[in-house]
Amino acid sequence: MTTLAPNPVPVYEAVGLTKQFDGGQIAALRGVDFTIQAGEFVAITGPSGCGKSTLLQLLGSLDVPTEGTLTYAGKSLADLKDPAAYRAQEIGFIFQAFHLLPTFTVLENVQIPMFEGSLSRSQRKERAKKLIESVGLGHRLNHFPTKLSGGERQRVAIARSLANSPQVLLADEPTGNLDSENAQVVIELLLKLHQDLGMTLILVTHDPVIAERASRTIRMKDGRVISSAESGTLPPSTP
Amino acid sequence: MTFLTIVLRGLIRRPVRTGLTLVGIAIGIAAVVALVGMAWGYEKGVSKQLDVIGIDVVVSNMSGGIMPKVFDGKLQNQIQPLPNVAQTTSVLMQMLSIEDAPMMMVSGREWGGFTWDNLKVVEGRLPKDSSEHAVVLGMMAAELLKKKVGDTVQIEADELPVVGIIDGRAVVENGAIILSLEVMQKVTSNEGKVNFVDLRVTPNTSKEAVSTLCAEIKKIFPEGRAMIASEVVGTSQGFRIAKAMSWSTSLLAIIVGVLGVMNTMLMTVFERTHEIGILLAVGWKRRRIMFMVLCESALLGLLGGLLGVTLGALGLKVLEATTAIHGLLEPDLSPKLLITAVGIAIVVGIVSGLYPGWRSSRLSPSLALHG
Repeated sequence: MTTLAPNPVPVYEAVGLTKQFDGGQIAALRGVDFTIQAGEFVAITGPSGCGKSTLLQLLGSLDVPTEGTLTYAGKSLADLKDPAAYRAQEIGFIFQAFHLLPTFTVLENVQIPMFEGSLSRSQRKERAKKLIESVGLGHRLNHFPTKLSGGERQRVAIARSLANSPQVLLADEPTGNLDSENAQVVIELLLKLHQDLGMTLILVTHDPVIAERASRTIRMKDGRVISSAESGTLPPSTP
Repeated sequence: MTFLTIVLRGLIRRPVRTGLTLVGIAIGIAAVVALVGMAWGYEKGVSKQLDVIGIDVVVSNMSGGIMPKVFDGKLQNQIQPLPNVAQTTSVLMQMLSIEDAPMMMVSGREWGGFTWDNLKVVEGRLPKDSSEHAVVLGMMAAELLKKKVGDTVQIEADELPVVGIIDGRAVVENGAIILSLEVMQKVTSNEGKVNFVDLRVTPNTSKEAVSTLCAEIKKIFPEGRAMIASEVVGTSQGFRIAKAMSWSTSLLAIIVGVLGVMNTMLMTVFERTHEIGILLAVGWKRRRIMFMVLCESALLGLLGGLLGVTLGALGLKVLEATTAIHGLLEPDLSPKLLITAVGIAIVVGIVSGLYPGWRSSRLSPSLALHG
């Protein structure tokens, strides 16, 4: 008789997830089910408007589902007492449009999320410096975002997402605004973080080449998951 | 970088708007400082005058407005025998327009009464007797009227020679024209009339005994009132009106300030919807965002308050030098007033930031990011 190892609690579990806007006139998600385990690198792909970015926003607790349940480490995100603490400590968010604060320097931008932590002023500064150096921008500490290239801005955003040592990175089209060369640098950086730190990486992308690098790809269409399988085992998607 | 850096950065991102808002608050606070400073200054000046002369109780009929109504000077004879009364003296004091100067205090004092005792002659002399048709001028009054010993001063229809310049050791005294009661009554056609009887009580009289004395005087002078010197200014109808007007004008200035700061902070919140979305997305708590907005508006209030206090103090100095109030009152620029004014400015800032702060903290992070 063999004893099965107990299934670990998934980092995310979605059951019957729906999201509607404008009083139900627009249905962005129409009953999404999936499970993501800790340490996975999952790519979410699909055509524009299929709901993948909406899904990422729900994962990031930036919005709440209309129906269904979404749990993080077994706890319902909709019922979190302090969603801000979840966003600050458990996840790091990387946006397609970088979303850096223009009136703050690179060093200051990376420190912003740390105000929700317990680090002292000097500890915040030191940690931010290390993170910025780790993304190869140690020479840009005191530059404002407007003086940086798109690739550099995204690397600052990645450094910021790591500010409070999160367990999960959520990246919404992180290479969408970048040329191929910078896109490559950013993807390599994310992969390195995933591998070196064992972080769960959930990445929304249009790019099949980037999706290929993930361990699993969730493909969406019209607000539904149409497939979820190891990358490279799925037939090519139709745009 | 500290939280204050973030707050300051929020203010300096729109320097012109922040500057204009600061000027708006500063003008409001300057008005508070100037108006209340004058009201308090008047109160302080009169209190000091009473203190310098050594008056314990003032008997008058304050229902007349700024200056009390005149009454029969024989009242003094009825008050003198009352228990605990050491000295009494009568005064007929009026605010009159003298030559080119606006309103000035003209004080006719009973010859030989203790109200002459505090006057230090710096030039010339005091009147020789109760009937001498002459005046002495307080130092500021002499400066204001540009008069010296030997000149004449026209009071009503009479020309009176100036026989001395005095230092009365109180602004109100130094800004006054002083003459004998008898002459004042003639000049103003108020023969036999006075409008103050000032009292000194016997040493070591208890407060209760002074209150009892006041009640006794009230019985013999029902239309008037006897007041302990320290309460004179506060109970003066004219002063109460002036004080109410200064505070109500200040209140208007404060309301304008609140609206100005609130407008600025609401504009800031609307403009920074995206930035607030980012802060929410990276895990800032809603209360931290509200606190940030409140700190910005409170800082606007503080800076506006400091600027306003400076402007108000300078304005008061200018006003003090003008003929309108020169010699009548010394504006009060006490730390209490300045701290109160800055405190009001900070409260204005905080109150103005409450609604914008609440609005900002209610933003949906996903909508704000796309906003």
